[in-house]
This record gives sequence, structure tokens and C-alpha cells, in this order.
Amino acid sequence: MAEYTVLRGRGIVEGFCKAEALVSTKPISFLGDVDLATGKIVEKRHDLYGESVKDRVLCFPHGHGSTVGSYVLYSLAKKGLAPKAIINHKADPVIVVGAVIANIPMIDQIDTGRIRTGDLVEVDAYKGIVKILKAVEG
Amino acid sequence: MKILVKLGELFNASRLIPIESAHVSGVSYKTLGEAPTDFLEALASAGEKVSVEATLNPQSLDPKHLSKKLPKHLVEMQLKLCEIFDKLGFMQSFTCTPYYIKEPKKGAHLAWAESSAVVYANSVLGAWTNREGGPSALAAAIIGKTPDCGMHRAANREPNVVVEVEASLGNEVDYGALGIFLGKILEDKIPLLRGLKNPKAEDLKQLGAALASAGMVNIFHHGKSVKVEGKIEKITVEPRDIKETVAELKTAKTRKPDLIFIGCPHCSLREIREIASAIGNRKVRENVEFWVCTSCFIKEKARAYVQKIEASGAKVLTDTCAVVTWTDMLGIKTIMTNSAKTAHYAPTLNRAETILAPLKECLKTALKE
Repeated sequence: MAEYTVLRGRGIVEGFCKAEALVSTKPISFLGDVDLATGKIVEKRHDLYGESVKDRVLCFPHGHGSTVGSYVLYSLAKKGLAPKAIINHKADPVIVVGAVIANIPMIDQIDTGRIRTGDLVEVDAYKGIVKILKAVEG
Repeated sequence: MKILVKLGELFNASRLIPIESAHVSGVSYKTLGEAPTDFLEALASAGEKVSVEATLNPQSLDPKHLSKKLPKHLVEMQLKLCEIFDKLGFMQSFTCTPYYIKEPKKGAHLAWAESSAVVYANSVLGAWTNREGGPSALAAAIIGKTPDCGMHRAANREPNVVVEVEASLGNEVDYGALGIFLGKILEDKIPLLRGLKNPKAEDLKQLGAALASAGMVNIFHHGKSVKVEGKIEKITVEPRDIKETVAELKTAKTRKPDLIFIGCPHCSLREIREIASAIGNRKVRENVEFWVCTSCFIKEKARAYVQKIEASGAKVLTDTCAVVTWTDMLGIKTIMTNSAKTAHYAPTLNRAETILAPLKECLKTALKE
């Protein structure tokens, strides 16, 4: 049987999904950093510049900046451009409220440094568990 | 309600507490877009109404100067959004500085979104508010309550890191740069700033706005009267840190801006007066726009100064600002500003290059000799 890395955190918005991780070491402000029309990170100084958040398990330390970020998450969800799940180290009210109204599974209190972009992860936000099913090589 | 209970659960609130006022963000159609407009419309159609004093952040246009220059459908969507907020019972304040309209009482509990106003309320005015997301401030406005957690608990407002500011801060840009620098490294820590030399409230406004743009900081302390006990983390800010931050915030290669923008956050009465007196009898150069942004409330109070500013060819815009309007559709590619917050957001939100410089330099660029 294969062995998985299992990370335990706190489930914030319930849900379950399996998708590829997109991991940042930097905080995210959905207003400004993410383009509403495409779901891509447009902040040139961001380490995810040019990446799309669509259908990824988006992992980043915490939210920051504009309080309009909650609505940006909602808009992305309505357009089908939202992340499949959000994993944070520390939940910030702006991200939490966005995830609630957009119905995006969310977990916090996870060391996002343990996950790498490209990992296939399973998110169980009912239990607050992230399983790394398949880690990227190298 | 679901939003507030969720927040309360997460941040260990045992109850909801009454609030003195609410201030919501997400009023500009540019930043909000279509889907949230539908969300708000559904709320208004259901007959929901605010139950406390509730103010609105800036919208995307100024009725006097911008509404004829922008595409009709965008103007119509913005007007629709304003009507929805009106129906919900909000005061049509359209400002990021609601504290200039009515200053909250010291120790009052608030539910404010608009991160710059949150930091100002907590740090300068001594009111108590979390940094609400737009929708949670809206929910709080309707039910008149907020979860009793975070900044609403005295124990959570104490400083937990000392910042020795060794750099001397000569103007508002330096204060803004300090905010951006600290915002990036502090996460949600609460700084006690030492070494600030008699800052004006407007300098602290710049500091707080930048702090909240780059970080998740809700409050800072400063002044000799604030004491910390026990072992505490210490950070030193050197002159180099401020210099480098200012340099990073300048993205423009040109020295000629299309727009010079003062008023992020919205100008106080004192700032409007200072700008009017600094302009004197000079005129704005050709081929450059010069905007001074404030609330209609301050504009009304500052009528004589506003006349003087507008006589130069500058525009005093109300209800909006450069960040939340479509400057790109007005042909603006380079924005010069004294606001670190604007310099932080303009490259993405305005697709514009930035020049960050103090008011004095902005005026020199804007005006004929």
C-alpha cells in the first residue's frame, strides 16, 4: 500500500476534492493579485505570477490587503475560475468570508510549506485533512 | 448571518456584540463586478435593511468629472449598484475615510471593512474593529452586531513586537513606505513603533493604509506612553529599508505622468487646505491630469479651498479615487502619487506604471513654474 503524507489542520468551509496543488510562499490579496476575467495571478512581484488559480488546490500562508477580496472569490466561483480548495497556514477574515459565500472548501492551520506545486492532493475540509496522494518528482 | 457565525466560531467568539457603525467595501463596480452585484441585489429585493449607521466605500466614478468620459454600460452598472446600496439603507458616503464624516467614539465597537480605515480607527482613533471582509461588514450592518473576537477583545490589541524606526521619516511617502515594508514582514503581529517624531494624523493614515495593503495588520501602537512587558521580539528599520521600499514602489521609466493623484486615502480638510495654499496662483501644465480626491462631505466643508484648487486646472473629485475607477480607459498609463497604497495597487488594478513622490514633488510636476 502506498504511503501518503497526511497534514492535519482545521476545516473552515466544508467540502471534499482532489486536485493539483498550486503553492505560494507569499500571502495573496485576491483584489489586485488575481485577474477577475481569467483567474490568473497578475501581480508581477508574486511568486505565482502568470499561474491560474482555476481548479487548483490553492495553498498560501495567509490573505492580506483589500477587504474586497471576499467578493473577488465569489466572482471567480460564479465564472468557474475559482480554486477547488483553499489551504492556509493562518485564516484571514477576508478569505474566510469569500470562501463561505463562494462555497469553496477551506482548511487552515496547515504548514503549506509541506506541499509543492504540482502535487496531487486530496482535501477533506469536513475533517480538516490534506493528503498528498502523489508528490511531484525531484 | 451564516457568515458572522462562521467567523465567530473560527476566531473563538462566544457571542455577537452590538456595533456603533458599519462601513462596507466593494462599492466600486470596477472592483466588484457582475456576480456580487447580483448577490447584493438579491439581498435588497428580500427587503433587508441596515440597522445601524452604515457608510459606503468609494464608487467607481465622480458624478461631475468622470461619468461622461466612461463607457455608458459601466456607468449604468455603477448607478444600479448605488441604488441597491441606497435601498439597503446605506448613507451615500462613498469614501474610504468615513471617520472624517463622523468620528467613532473611543472604545466603540465597529464593523468596518476598508483596510486603511480599520487601521486608522484602531490605531489613531482608539475605536475597536476587525478588518472585515466586504460581505461580513454588510452582514454586520444589517444585523447591527459583530462576533466578539479579535480586535474586540482588549487582550488581542496589545503589541507583540517592538519596531525601532531608526530611519528618519521626512514626509508622507516615507510613512507609507514604512507601512509597506512592515506589512510584508509582520503578518498579523501587532507592532509598537518607536522613534516616530511627532507624526501628523495624516502621516499615520498613510502608514496604516500601506500597512494594511501589504499585510494583515489591524492595529499599530506608537508613542512613549505605550509600555511592553517581558521578552518581546524586536525589529529595526534602517534608512536603507525605507529607501529601498520607495524605490521598489516606483515602476515607471518615464518621469512624465499622465495623472497626478493625491487623495489615497481620501484627503482631510487640512490636506485640502495645504494643497490649495501650496498651489498658490500656479496653473496645471498641459497634457497632465491632476486629481485631488476626497468625500463630498469634505469638499462641501472646504468649498473656498476647492475653488482655489480647481482654478489651477486641477480637479477635486469626490466619491471615487484613481484606484477604483477605470483610469486605463481614460488613457492613463503612468500615475504619480504620494500614496504608497496607490503605488502598491496601481500596477495591477490600473495597469499603470507608478511614480511615488511626496506632495511637494507631485505639485512641482503638475504645475507650471
